[in-house]
Amino acid sequence: MTQPLDRTSPQVRLENLALTLTAASGPVEILKDISLEVAAGETVSVVGPSGSGKTSLIMVVAGLERASAGRVEVAGRNLTELDEDGLARFRRDTVGIVFQDFHLVPTMTALENVAVPLEFAGIGEAFARAETALGAVGLGHRLQHYPGQLSGGEQQRTALARAFVTEPKLLLADEPTGNLDGETGGHVIDLLFDLQERAGTTLMLITHDPALALRCERRLELADGRLRNGGDLAVTRDARGTG
Amino acid sequence: MNALSDLTMALRLARRELRGGFRGFRVFALCLFLGVAAIAAIGSLSQALLTGLAEDGRTLLGGDIDLRLTHREATAEQMAWLAEQGVVSHVAEMRAMLQAGDEPLLVEMKAVDDLYPLYGEIDMEPPLPLEDALARREGAWGLAVDQVILDRLDLRVGDETRIGEARFRITAHLSREPDRLARGLSFGPPVLASLAALEASGLLQPGSLIRHHYRLRLSDGADIGRTRAAIVERFPDAGWRITDARRASPRVYRFLSRVELYLTLVGLSSLLLGGLGVANATRAYLATKTETVATLKCLGASRRLVFLLYLFLVMALALPAVLMGLAVGAAAPFIADGLLGEVLGWRGAPGPFTTPLALAAVFGILTALTFALMPLARAAKVSPSGLFRAQIAPGDQRPGRVALAALSLAIAGLAGLAIISANDWVIAAAFVACAGFAFALFHLLARSIAALAARGARLRQPLWRLALANLHRPGAATGAMLLSLGLGLTLLSAIVLVEANLDRQVGQVLPAQAPSFYFLDIQPDQVAAFERIVEDRPGAEKLRKVPILRGRITAVDSRPPEDWEIPNNIRWVFRGDRGLTWRREPLEGAVLTAGEWWPADYDGPPLVSLDAAVGEGLGIGPGDSLTINVLGRDFVVRIANLRRIDWSALTMNFVLVFSPGFLESAPQTYLATVEVPKDEEGALERAVFKALPNVAAVRVRDALAQVTLLMGRIGLAVKSIAAVALLAGILVLIGAVAADQDRRTYDAVVLKVLGATRRRLLLSYFLEHGLIALVGAAIAGILGAGAAYLVMTQVMRSEFVLLAGPLLTTLGVSGALALVLGVATTFRALGRRPAALLRNH
Repeated sequence: MTQPLDRTSPQVRLENLALTLTAASGPVEILKDISLEVAAGETVSVVGPSGSGKTSLIMVVAGLERASAGRVEVAGRNLTELDEDGLARFRRDTVGIVFQDFHLVPTMTALENVAVPLEFAGIGEAFARAETALGAVGLGHRLQHYPGQLSGGEQQRTALARAFVTEPKLLLADEPTGNLDGETGGHVIDLLFDLQERAGTTLMLITHDPALALRCERRLELADGRLRNGGDLAVTRDARGTG
Repeated sequence: MNALSDLTMALRLARRELRGGFRGFRVFALCLFLGVAAIAAIGSLSQALLTGLAEDGRTLLGGDIDLRLTHREATAEQMAWLAEQGVVSHVAEMRAMLQAGDEPLLVEMKAVDDLYPLYGEIDMEPPLPLEDALARREGAWGLAVDQVILDRLDLRVGDETRIGEARFRITAHLSREPDRLARGLSFGPPVLASLAALEASGLLQPGSLIRHHYRLRLSDGADIGRTRAAIVERFPDAGWRITDARRASPRVYRFLSRVELYLTLVGLSSLLLGGLGVANATRAYLATKTETVATLKCLGASRRLVFLLYLFLVMALALPAVLMGLAVGAAAPFIADGLLGEVLGWRGAPGPFTTPLALAAVFGILTALTFALMPLARAAKVSPSGLFRAQIAPGDQRPGRVALAALSLAIAGLAGLAIISANDWVIAAAFVACAGFAFALFHLLARSIAALAARGARLRQPLWRLALANLHRPGAATGAMLLSLGLGLTLLSAIVLVEANLDRQVGQVLPAQAPSFYFLDIQPDQVAAFERIVEDRPGAEKLRKVPILRGRITAVDSRPPEDWEIPNNIRWVFRGDRGLTWRREPLEGAVLTAGEWWPADYDGPPLVSLDAAVGEGLGIGPGDSLTINVLGRDFVVRIANLRRIDWSALTMNFVLVFSPGFLESAPQTYLATVEVPKDEEGALERAVFKALPNVAAVRVRDALAQVTLLMGRIGLAVKSIAAVALLAGILVLIGAVAADQDRRTYDAVVLKVLGATRRRLLLSYFLEHGLIALVGAAIAGILGAGAAYLVMTQVMRSEFVLLAGPLLTTLGVSGALALVLGVATTFRALGRRPAALLRNH
């Protein structure tokens, strides 16, 4: 089932994607026959019950998991043709990821954490740009703090700065507020959408929160590894407008 | 990113990672430190002693060049030529019986001329000029004697004694003569007399075992090597053994090298064990870094960058540990100098010595690299997808081809260095092979135990199930524990068994098999009188006597020994004079491996029976020829047969036994062995001495006591280094158990929540560690016994007996210790209060 799109260049294109992993008890089919396009600048939420394959879908799109079958194309690159280091470079140049558990490097300061992807990319003014990015998420005064010295909300804001600092074409977020209280989570999400809108980044967001899902332009619903409902663009937008 | 930018980026990231500290790396650093310190100390100490030996070479040798002749003196022609090269001093050495009252005592007599010593000083009390001390006064020759003689015979300076037919007055107590080291194995305390006094003693009989040394002090500017070459060229058939000051005591040199080799191998074992600690600590550290690695990879870090980053970190930790080890090694000669200088008779050079330190450093770095490579390669393969959730599949844990190639290279480097840097490649290679085998075996064993435990996990008995589960669950320390315990105990078992076997040889077997006495220098016309004396003594039995003279093999099949590839184990045969004898009948119990014994009435051209080990070593046998230099003349003899010899029995044996009709006419003496009850030894010695004062009696018991003393000292050195190895093993064991502590604590808490008592948990820990200790000790016992068997039969060429007592005691005590240590380390897990832990988890 292919999603019809009114925008011209799809940022993400999946064709008949399948993912099978081997567990001790035998092969487990995680994703089954998924075809999907996400347009540049579009915001998409991915919803579904636990174990439905949401995270796996995001991981395949990020090049963290290799599809067992089908085609995966992101920003014009066919991921199935890239080796491990090629995928690492692809992520460095194209993808930003925000995790539920933040995943900051504990031995690096906030500034260093944000500068690392720029350093990997060999960008000269990595620290100046990282400082700007941290300023943009309101952490200009926390540059030299280590993750252990930051609150949960501050850590996730640092992670947001890190994800956006390379100006990625695609931002993937896995339950970014799952470990935060309601109010802090709200601030972080506002920030996320604000940054996304300003940069025109394509966003794929996993969430269990219906209200958060509604803030996206489209809702993808997964169940048992299949794409149950790509979500009707108009309905989603209406819902967002009324919600 | 290219390789260079990866490198600089890895360095930058490593610097950041260093901020995080290194929990669990104490074991890493300690293991590496211990191993490097042991190897650096052994190498430095050995180098210090050898350098000291070379620096003091002229003094220790007694001249720039020493020419040694057995039985006979240099000719006038030789002396005249030598005198042109520099100053020549003559020293004669022999064993003799010194008598005070009725008591005879075997002494090592050194008779010297007026020029003695050419180098160094004599240390005696009172400090008389040597000429005065040895001069003849009122019919008695002056004699300087060792303190032992004064004590043993209750003598004082000024008392009179006899040696042979000459009267002596003790003029001084001899503390040390500079060239004492140049003498071979000594059977008695030394005395110093003049050459004229030796002549007067009547001991200079034809065929007596007298060694004449001609020491040369070269004229200024003369080159030792060139003069030595000139001597060989001018007198090619002189039959003397030439030693020069550049390597004053080849015997001591060889001995030190051998001791160094064994100590180094034990030191390497401790480094290998330390390597396990390195691997465990690296693995445990990197396990805490999985999230960081995954995050970095998510952000675009390549596998190479991650590998380099943690390689730098591991090396940053290894370096200080290695440096500290080197510091201890460099200090070793200073620390040991005071202790060893007294014992050995020369001072070690202070150092520090670059070569052994550099070698130890490379060993340390290579060990760290070899053992860290695998965990590093695995860490670099961590999948960033792990950040999202625990994977269904554990992921591909096999290291890549590059990592495997690097690992093979590091192992080859380590093994190659161990072999190339050793002074006996064959033994070092055997050690490397054995170590590799033991490693592989214990590794395999650990996997089998884990597999078996997994099968046993369905047991009904929960105590057993818990213990077995701890052995096979993912991340269990079974492998690390079994390897460290097994390898440590293998080394210990081997050392204990070799020592116990040597002790048994020297302490029980030899005294039981060996005769009570060797009587030397019995003149042919004294044989009948000697036999009568022995027959008259009650209890004296098993009198065996053989004619003996000395000779040297100068060619094999007309080619000099230098042209032959001579295996290490038979080199000694070609090094100097050997005892020769002749016989009609085969020696008692002789086993011929090739050829035939000659008929008792054989009267043809000279034949010889050769030690089978020499024949096999050179690939020669019956029909081949040997050229033997006897009393300065070369004789060619044909080999009639090869004969197997058990040298360890300390009975009379000869590498070369001649057919009759060839040696009878040469000046010779008889060597006799006698067995006599211990309380009759003194009486027999006195009786022989009274009738035949020139015959020297060597008490085998006394000689064995000397060997025991020496063995004790070497044993102490080996044990000290082995203790370092054992300490490394214990550290690894504790480290392996401790690395698992968090998981164990959590398990214990959950089980306690579910109602398990502490006693029950403790019992399961005992079962778990007991199983490992039992299997480890059992296999280590077998491997250790195998290694000890190889050392005893192949290196020591002696008998091996599996001495169950020492082996089981060692294994039992060490196994129990490992069990207690393991349980004690685990025990802390039981102390945590469930509520506190669960709240924070």
